[in-house]
Amino acid sequence: MEAAPDIGLMRLLAAFGLLVVPLALSVFMKLGIARQLFGAAGRMTGQLFLVAILLIYLFRWDNPWLNVAWVIIMMFFACFSAMAGSKLSFSRFFLPVFLAYFAGTGLVLLFFNKVIVNYDNIFTARLMVVVGGMMLGNSLNSTIIGVSHYYESVRKESKRYLYLLSLGASQQEALLPFFRDALLAAMRPFLANMATMGIVSLPGMMTGQILGGANPETAIKYQIAIILAIFTALSISVTLSIFFTSRKAFDAYGILKADLFRG
Amino acid sequence: MIRFENISLTLNHRPLFRKLSVEVPAGGRLIISGESGSGKTTLLKMLLGFVFPDEGKVFIDKQELRLRNVWQLRQKMAYVSQEMQIGRGPVDRFVREILRFKNNRSINYDQGKMLRLMDDFQLGRDTISKNLDDLSGGELQRVAIIVTLLLDRSVYLLDEVTSALDQSLKEIIVHYFSNLKEKTLIISSHDTIWHEQGFPILNLGKNGSSS
Repeated sequence: MEAAPDIGLMRLLAAFGLLVVPLALSVFMKLGIARQLFGAAGRMTGQLFLVAILLIYLFRWDNPWLNVAWVIIMMFFACFSAMAGSKLSFSRFFLPVFLAYFAGTGLVLLFFNKVIVNYDNIFTARLMVVVGGMMLGNSLNSTIIGVSHYYESVRKESKRYLYLLSLGASQQEALLPFFRDALLAAMRPFLANMATMGIVSLPGMMTGQILGGANPETAIKYQIAIILAIFTALSISVTLSIFFTSRKAFDAYGILKADLFRG
Repeated sequence: MIRFENISLTLNHRPLFRKLSVEVPAGGRLIISGESGSGKTTLLKMLLGFVFPDEGKVFIDKQELRLRNVWQLRQKMAYVSQEMQIGRGPVDRFVREILRFKNNRSINYDQGKMLRLMDDFQLGRDTISKNLDDLSGGELQRVAIIVTLLLDRSVYLLDEVTSALDQSLKEIIVHYFSNLKEKTLIISSHDTIWHEQGFPILNLGKNGSSS
């Protein structure tokens, strides 16, 4: 199959022309989002052009160290933005969650590159940067949902937690039901998404590959593998994040510390 | 034996206790009375090592409650509070999970005893297979109490356990505990039915005073 034809600059402007419709809606319905819309579209365009330039060079140089460094930088920013959307304290959670995420996603990414795709160079930009980026966008939010759910439910259901401690539970035993709930909270949305894949939506990676000239059969195989990889990565990341943070989140008496949340 | 010795505590800039001293002998009873916010629950939580006094000491069976023995001393207590979400899944499974805790492994699960207690507290026997999420507040309250009775602890901390129950259930619970002669009971409650038992009363007043 042929790769999709390039979109000329003028034709790309035509895509911006589409915005006339939501803009008109904003004006007539007094939504007041025109400024925000221009801002968002502008940011998106700028960021993506910058990424394109970076990708061009990353692909041209294809240096393993540089590729790994790029994935780590992306993880750093993804972790930052995902945590900003949660109530968790940055100083307490950023490093352990980042490390847990790095370990979880890193391991699965290597498995994907080596065992599933089996490229000679598993650190090549094509795999590291593209597949890595794909996994990041999808699994980090679930990880943060899981970790937040864990600490928020221990706080909200403190009576239940203290009751279990008073019934003779060790700290680990009393936290087990909360850990179980947190894993479910992180996994369930992704599972639901997995079950409707291909029917409700055509996944982005697949669309990209098909437009790029891959045949649909190859594209779906990649899609299946990456979804399974993302799910596994998020399972590992949530587990490790809770494991890394749990020890320091409680005092020696087993009581949840007060400074885990912002505001 | 339970003893608070010169306890002072300020919580959220409010003095709750000032030089409070109380002793309850083994097998004794104490009712903690006072308006909401006067520190009734806090006092009970202090016995479990969930809250610590700014000054003063807490003794349980002559041992001062400290970090090194808090986990062990908690094993002497049973704590039940009102309106608790205690867990999920079937009652039976929940009880078995509690008895599988390392500290509780020496206790055998005696389903006969469980069923007898359910009869005593007027819970239908089918409750044992119901989901905790499907139980009413009153049923949940009684399950929480029954679990602590299976563990056979020596001190019972009952934090407003009867306040959400109807009169006949209040009576059942109060009489049940009043007849446990060898257990130490520390009760926080507004219910007059507890006050009619003739137990000693600790009044927590405003501004950290007590009588």
